[in-house]
Amino acid sequence: MKRGWLMRMLGFTYNEEGLGELAGLAAALGLEAYALAVGSRDSVADYSYSVFKRIYYAPRMSTDQAFAVISDLYDKIKPDMIVAPSLKDNTTVLAMLASNKKLAMFTEAFGIVLMEGKIRAKRRVMGGRAEAYYEASTPIALTIARGYYAPPASSEKGAGLEEVKPPASKLTILSVEVKEKGSVDLESASIVVGVGRGFRRKEDLRLAEQLASLLNGVVGASRPIVADYGWLSEDRWIGISGKKIKPKIYIAIGISGAPQHMAAVMDAETIVAINKDKNAPVFQYADYGVVADLYKFVPKLIEKLREKLGGR
Amino acid sequence: MALRIAVLVKASLDPNMLRSKNNGLLDEHAMPLALSEYDKNAVEAAVQLRERNGGSVTVLSVLTWGPVARRLREFEQVIREALAMGADDAHIIVDDALVPGDPASTAEALAALAKALGGFDIYIAGEASMDMISGQVPARLAALLNLPYIGYARSIEIANGAIRAKRDLEGYIEHVEAPLPCVVSVTGEINKPRIPTLIQVRRAFRKPIKRYSVADIGLNKVYKPLISEIRVISVKRRNIVIEGDNMDDIAAKLADIIAGLLPR
Repeated sequence: MKRGWLMRMLGFTYNEEGLGELAGLAAALGLEAYALAVGSRDSVADYSYSVFKRIYYAPRMSTDQAFAVISDLYDKIKPDMIVAPSLKDNTTVLAMLASNKKLAMFTEAFGIVLMEGKIRAKRRVMGGRAEAYYEASTPIALTIARGYYAPPASSEKGAGLEEVKPPASKLTILSVEVKEKGSVDLESASIVVGVGRGFRRKEDLRLAEQLASLLNGVVGASRPIVADYGWLSEDRWIGISGKKIKPKIYIAIGISGAPQHMAAVMDAETIVAINKDKNAPVFQYADYGVVADLYKFVPKLIEKLREKLGGR
Repeated sequence: MALRIAVLVKASLDPNMLRSKNNGLLDEHAMPLALSEYDKNAVEAAVQLRERNGGSVTVLSVLTWGPVARRLREFEQVIREALAMGADDAHIIVDDALVPGDPASTAEALAALAKALGGFDIYIAGEASMDMISGQVPARLAALLNLPYIGYARSIEIANGAIRAKRDLEGYIEHVEAPLPCVVSVTGEINKPRIPTLIQVRRAFRKPIKRYSVADIGLNKVYKPLISEIRVISVKRRNIVIEGDNMDDIAAKLADIIAGLLPR
């Protein structure tokens, strides 16, 4: 990329894979890139894309330690953009840095355009149902929305690595509990069957499972099923604070259609809704709606699909 | 130890009442303000802490949607809701300079207000507002006040001048401890916010709300708002309700449609 000015990026990430997104952004926008990552030397080396001039790393850092380290790097490198993939603690560290250095910040940004001394970006607001257009002068902090910047085409590695020593932390980490991980990948599934409060018992979810497996799809859920009833694990939760999905077909069964849920399925190509309440908001968002009791209708739908698809 | 608890709340545009103009831009003036969803969890967490440890709960808030003169009453109603849930008093900042809001300015204003009030033992906020979903204000506030920050807590408890929390992160839960004073943000999982009774709502009208301008709290640096426009995303849906003679017929029609859409 040829232009009369160059922007310098300081990336930050808690997960080493995030270096891929940062490298992708740096390559796409032609940035001079540096990064700070949390991870061991070996794990960071796996993502040491050569687009980075240097990658600083520390095996472990609490958010206040990372804040202290990145503040020092900011003063040393003098970047135009401080960028992190959208992760909760990445957001925390960048917001603390931005506050300390009196910088503006956008979270979950995409559609990033650079001009001399300026940046434009968009982000989703209003429960995901609107897009806000931002313009700010550099330097600026931003987290990038997931799925917009893939790792660079050239997977050449070997950027210089330098370990940093974080100062003492005010936070004491007592223990870490890994969350139970299900085997479903809602975000990349092409067929998703969503279940909501219309289901009366956990055992009844097997209707949705049957339908999903017939269509080679997966089952997701609205918030009450996961958070209030605990019938499915958290990785099944479709919502603004859960997973955002973009399947070819989304089939919402017994889901009323709260905005926080619907905003997360807006990118579905086709939405089918099955609900016994004809006034349920979900029908406003649906391409095809069926007003029926799911307990009577879904078994029939499965039967008809089975006939059609021939024992799939 | 009687805790001085501050709870940060936002009067957010209600995304459930989304309105757009003919040109597709968000019509924010036609949208009502409401107490932001996760801020209700923050108020509930604050009130529960007071119930367990004693002390007081003070609401801190900045009006971020204008026009100021027209929004003031609505803003007060939102603050009264937090008071009805059990907070004791409120301090609010209302100033044209802070409208429309920006997380940087809002955090600066809240920090200046907190300092003017002599500081608190714990500051509790929701993880993000329901309208702008930036999720920056509590972390920014912690940096401005030079306090430890515990983000995304799904449980908190206080013992011996320290706070213990379970932080809900992508893929894992982290148990942490920090000394007070401290800033905390909470997720929707931390509790079920109480719905105030009629008596509590009425009592809230007698609780004090004190109003400040930017000058009152000695704030001089205010950031420029950075949003050029907000556009409502319009997705065209077919909105076809499938009808038929009986359920078999409807199921057959939907099966046809679904089969036709399946990836090969």
